[in-house]
Amino acid sequence: MSYRSFVGLEIHIQLATRTKVFCGCRARFGEEPNTNICPVCAGYPGALPALNEEAMRLGYVVARALNCDLSPACEFERKNYFYPDLPKNYQISQFTRPLGTDGFIDLEFRRNKRRVKIRECHLEEDAGKMIHAGDQSLLDYNRAGTPLLEIVTDPDLEIGEEAEVLLQEFRRLVRYLGVCDGNMEEGSLRCDANVSVNLEGQGLGTKVEIKNMNSFRFVRKALNYEIDRQRDIIERGGTIVQETRLWNENRDVSESMRVKESSNDYRYFPEPDMPPFVATPEFLTSVDDLIVELPIARTARFISDYRLTDAQASFLCEERQIADYFEHAVRLGASPAAAAVWLMGDVQKLLNRSGTRLSDSPLTPDRFAQLLTLLDAGRIHGKIAKQTLEAVFDDDSDPQEIIVARSWEQITDPAAIDAIVEDVLRSNPQAVAQLRAGDARPKGFLVGRIMQATNGRAEPRLVQDILARKLDVQFVQVLSFGGAISGRRRDDGVIVAGELSQLIEQVVRDASLPADIRYEAVELGRFLSEEVTPNDWAGLIGAVDAHLSVGDAAGIVVTTGTDTLAYTAALLHWLFGGADVPIVLTASAMTGDAPESTHNFKEAVRIAMSGGAGGGAAVDSPGAVSVVFDRVAYPALNLKFERIPARAASTDAPSVVTPAAATPAAATPPAFRTWNPDAVRDAAGRSLYELQSLTVDAIAERLEAAVTKSFIAKVFPGMQASSLTALIDSGTRFFVLELYDSGTANVGETPFGLRRALEYGRRAGALFLCTSQQEGNVDFSPYITSHELWREGAVPMGPLTTESVYGLLLAVLLTSDSWDPEAVSQAMERAQ
Amino acid sequence: MSTTSIRSWRAVLSDPDRYGAALADRNRALNAFLEIDAKRRPAASPAGAGEAAGAGEAAGPGEAAGPGEAAVPIAVKDNIAVRGYQLTCASRMLENFVCPYDATIVSRLIAAGYQPVGKTNLDEFGMGSSTDNSAGGPTSNPWDTDRVAGGSSGGSAAAVAAGMVPVALGTDTGGSVRQPAAFCGVYGLKPTYGALSRYGLVAYASSLEVAGILADSVDLISDVYTAAAGIDAMDQTSTWTASPPSSETRTVAFLSGDLGLDQRTTAGYARMRDAVASRGYAHTDVELSTSDYAVPAYYTIATAEASANLARFNGVRYGERPLYAENPESLVRAARSAGFGSEVKLRILLGTYVLRSGFQEQYYQRAQKIRTAIRNEFDSLFATYDLLVLPVFPTAAFRHGADELDAFQQKVADKFTTLANLAALPALSIPTGVFDGLPVGIQVMGPPHSEARLIEFARVIATELPFERPPGYEPLSTLPPSGSEVA
Repeated sequence: MSYRSFVGLEIHIQLATRTKVFCGCRARFGEEPNTNICPVCAGYPGALPALNEEAMRLGYVVARALNCDLSPACEFERKNYFYPDLPKNYQISQFTRPLGTDGFIDLEFRRNKRRVKIRECHLEEDAGKMIHAGDQSLLDYNRAGTPLLEIVTDPDLEIGEEAEVLLQEFRRLVRYLGVCDGNMEEGSLRCDANVSVNLEGQGLGTKVEIKNMNSFRFVRKALNYEIDRQRDIIERGGTIVQETRLWNENRDVSESMRVKESSNDYRYFPEPDMPPFVATPEFLTSVDDLIVELPIARTARFISDYRLTDAQASFLCEERQIADYFEHAVRLGASPAAAAVWLMGDVQKLLNRSGTRLSDSPLTPDRFAQLLTLLDAGRIHGKIAKQTLEAVFDDDSDPQEIIVARSWEQITDPAAIDAIVEDVLRSNPQAVAQLRAGDARPKGFLVGRIMQATNGRAEPRLVQDILARKLDVQFVQVLSFGGAISGRRRDDGVIVAGELSQLIEQVVRDASLPADIRYEAVELGRFLSEEVTPNDWAGLIGAVDAHLSVGDAAGIVVTTGTDTLAYTAALLHWLFGGADVPIVLTASAMTGDAPESTHNFKEAVRIAMSGGAGGGAAVDSPGAVSVVFDRVAYPALNLKFERIPARAASTDAPSVVTPAAATPAAATPPAFRTWNPDAVRDAAGRSLYELQSLTVDAIAERLEAAVTKSFIAKVFPGMQASSLTALIDSGTRFFVLELYDSGTANVGETPFGLRRALEYGRRAGALFLCTSQQEGNVDFSPYITSHELWREGAVPMGPLTTESVYGLLLAVLLTSDSWDPEAVSQAMERAQ
Repeated sequence: MSTTSIRSWRAVLSDPDRYGAALADRNRALNAFLEIDAKRRPAASPAGAGEAAGAGEAAGPGEAAGPGEAAVPIAVKDNIAVRGYQLTCASRMLENFVCPYDATIVSRLIAAGYQPVGKTNLDEFGMGSSTDNSAGGPTSNPWDTDRVAGGSSGGSAAAVAAGMVPVALGTDTGGSVRQPAAFCGVYGLKPTYGALSRYGLVAYASSLEVAGILADSVDLISDVYTAAAGIDAMDQTSTWTASPPSSETRTVAFLSGDLGLDQRTTAGYARMRDAVASRGYAHTDVELSTSDYAVPAYYTIATAEASANLARFNGVRYGERPLYAENPESLVRAARSAGFGSEVKLRILLGTYVLRSGFQEQYYQRAQKIRTAIRNEFDSLFATYDLLVLPVFPTAAFRHGADELDAFQQKVADKFTTLANLAALPALSIPTGVFDGLPVGIQVMGPPHSEARLIEFARVIATELPFERPPGYEPLSTLPPSGSEVA
């Protein structure tokens, strides 16, 4: 049986006015009980309410931001019910003519876009607080009369996660508008919900109200609990009782508070003590004046104006203060891209560590801009910049002062470095001659001498540049990362792992490549493709990072094996896709001595040395990382074998063709195929790894932990939920689930349905990342079964292949502090 | 009122002990006051006093009281807030409640040279026409102590009629100022809705009620009204107009038809008609098609609002409460059961009934439609006539108890007074003389904010209908000079 759940929210926010809504008392609480009260808010005989227009204005501001129709005039009603914390035993509220109606808020949760209708916004007064102490009940009326705005949505939501996303978006909105601090724990933002479950196609079911959800997390848990509870009742043939239930956060269950029969008749009638409020043109102008650029619009502007990624823009626009800070720093000369990366990375880490907010931290926009300008001008390098940043937090002083005081400033004057390089070259003619002749090895010696001469303060990239220019050469870094391409054929014909040197020797004098290329080779391991381990990957990541940060190469070529190429390429893409140096992976089915291998290697070098920012330009790749195989260049993402490469080598190698040129009509189809190529081209070229600077051991440790907790499972007819639950029991937390076609699977309740596994996983904190076995774009939109998967918490991975997703998962786990499933899921979504 | 008599009332307060004793003495037979305290002179509280934006200069009583000069005594109905005095509303519920603030009109009057000297009796929370429904015991009519003073402002009316004070504040929700004024033979003004701030009036029916003034002279009615009126930021329903209707009267309409008046009232009504004729006003008989619906509409709206207004009395923050309760709900239940009298309970139940969801269309909203129809009829009436004269009550003061008029008949008899409340219009009850030992008052109504016209008309007509006092009740301002024996 298939069910639908309907969730509507009633959100209350305390409006941040100076005084209460109907009297002149300060709207402050947390003070000595019953000190901010007067005859009006304490409900004394004869006292009358007098509307605070500011509260009305803030209410209209929220209604406008939620796209509501604004009421030209609105009235107040009395809502009658007895409760000791309600001084008058009626609440002044709005019933027939609320201040705003028929609005909406847009959400996206796990690729499911939704426009949730806002039924109405109305202004009312808060009640006091009753505290039970022993056998006494005590009342504090300081809160009574605080302006509350209630926002009622249609039952357009389906699951707790969506409600949580809505609340987060809503909180961001009210914080942007400055009308409420949105603190759920302290009750300035509160949420009640109504939940009903019914058989698919039968409309709304019996409504149950849920109260006492005091955090975003509790909202999610309580709603999912209630949906499950109602579905279980329906499945057992029972009926849902219309009632109000309270979430018990200690026991993780909801408990019945009252059933409908004994509920209140509120006997609304017009409040005779106040005339209707008329929204004059002047009032509406004052409302418009308070509308600021809202998060969604600002995010879009950040993407277009500052050329930031979605993830960067959403991070910065999450809070108005951070977005303001960012723009302030940019106005002071910081590069937007660098500012975004630093704010998301190191700055955020330091803020977390010190427990401060950006606006209260020693890092003023001025200092931040100064730091980035120093870095941009090369006066400090990346590592020093990080140290300087920490010093700003520790010493509360300017970056400029810090680098002078600590002698951290690099020598960045090209003329000065030029002179030193000239000097070193003159005194080492033999090394120079060797390099000129084609041997790259003396370079390290020369760089060492130069650094020695400057006490290590010469800007390394500048040293590399000047050295290369003076010698009239350019350097390519070749990282040998296993595979047949660096192997050799044994006498019996079997291919074994080997070393790369012979391949380089073959291309060094190749006339088809520029003569000024010098090859620096590093061997990272001898193994066949299938033998790759997390340790090997850690070495590769560490090496790429080192070369990128020193800037000692115009391009990086990674020779590797074929069978795991798609994984390694994706991993490098997610970690280093934003690099300013091309990173080209190449492999071959043949050993290095085969013409096939030589050709691939040559082409990889050509792309790596083609100049410009990233090989993307060369191969239509979304980032710096690309792949050359079997005469064809590919983007690094979504590689799948189209055919197993032939072992027989053709001696007359044709020139390399692009996938577009390699039509099916060609004699031999390409060995690989790029899956969902359009979507891959649009993927972000980002560097998750940027500024991480982990040691290789630390990388290895993290990767090993990550792969231990991960599993790739392919859905097949007859697959049993118990297989997955057994994995969960043994510690697996991250599943890449390969579904049928565009994202379906059996989600039934039978042993062959996955629902039990998904439910089990959700409770255990497991994440299901869904890809397709065929060429599907998994977004969970087309079928009821896929929608059920979405509802059970599975995450659709869109156009990405299993290999790309696995690479992304490892990249995220490697670079995230939190492995909380929701945080990981969000980080993965942001990275795309 | 002449400057001389105001002086003599001020003189009374120069010896508050003696005055207080005299009040207590006279109160024994009448029970007009629930609390007497002539000694305290509360400082004018700033709140409200300065808020009379655009209301014009607050006029003092004849002349402002100079520094050190005693003020003019005023009695205040015990449902209006005066700081430091009790505010019982004649209910057990508020038996021990001491009021922490001043009603806006009280602070304005104190600033203008009046001094509250006590709190007067009423029907509990203003619900009644006899002042018999009081937890403090009934008030008797100075003209005949076997009879009621009327209600609900019976204490204020009796105090003025018996010469204890020259002027008193009351509240008028459905006739509660005009009817006791008529029963006791004094002037009683129910102003336009909102013309006097309601801040500090313990609410019974918020959309209907307004503070009113009872006095032994038209001048004092005028002075007190002028001093108290005006916009009040604490009451957003308060109203004021810079251009009130002309104070001049040319045409007077008389309500005619089968009015069901007793003999005395018939005679009083006829005397008013003669007086109008002899002063040369053009006068015409008119009928009101909506008047039969006034009482049911009034009781529907009044009880509906009362059911919410009285909900705040739950024993939690102040007032009657049991010594012990198992939980908040039983505390509220016990406090309300013990604290409210039966008429109050009846009206709360009625109000709750008419507001039930699903029944509002049938009762509450229908009553509002009737109210609109009544307003419309008065709008067109006052487009033609300057004033409408009509009886206040079908009878003169009736006897204590239910023998002459039971509670239901008393409600039916509100048919002439509730019109002004439903239509939010000003009305003034004018004494027309004494008939067979009892006074009869006749009211005159005008368009919104026509108080000056009503007052001017009353001044003119007073030359035909002189003010009379009950025998044996010379004003306390005429007490023999201090030192002589007080009985």
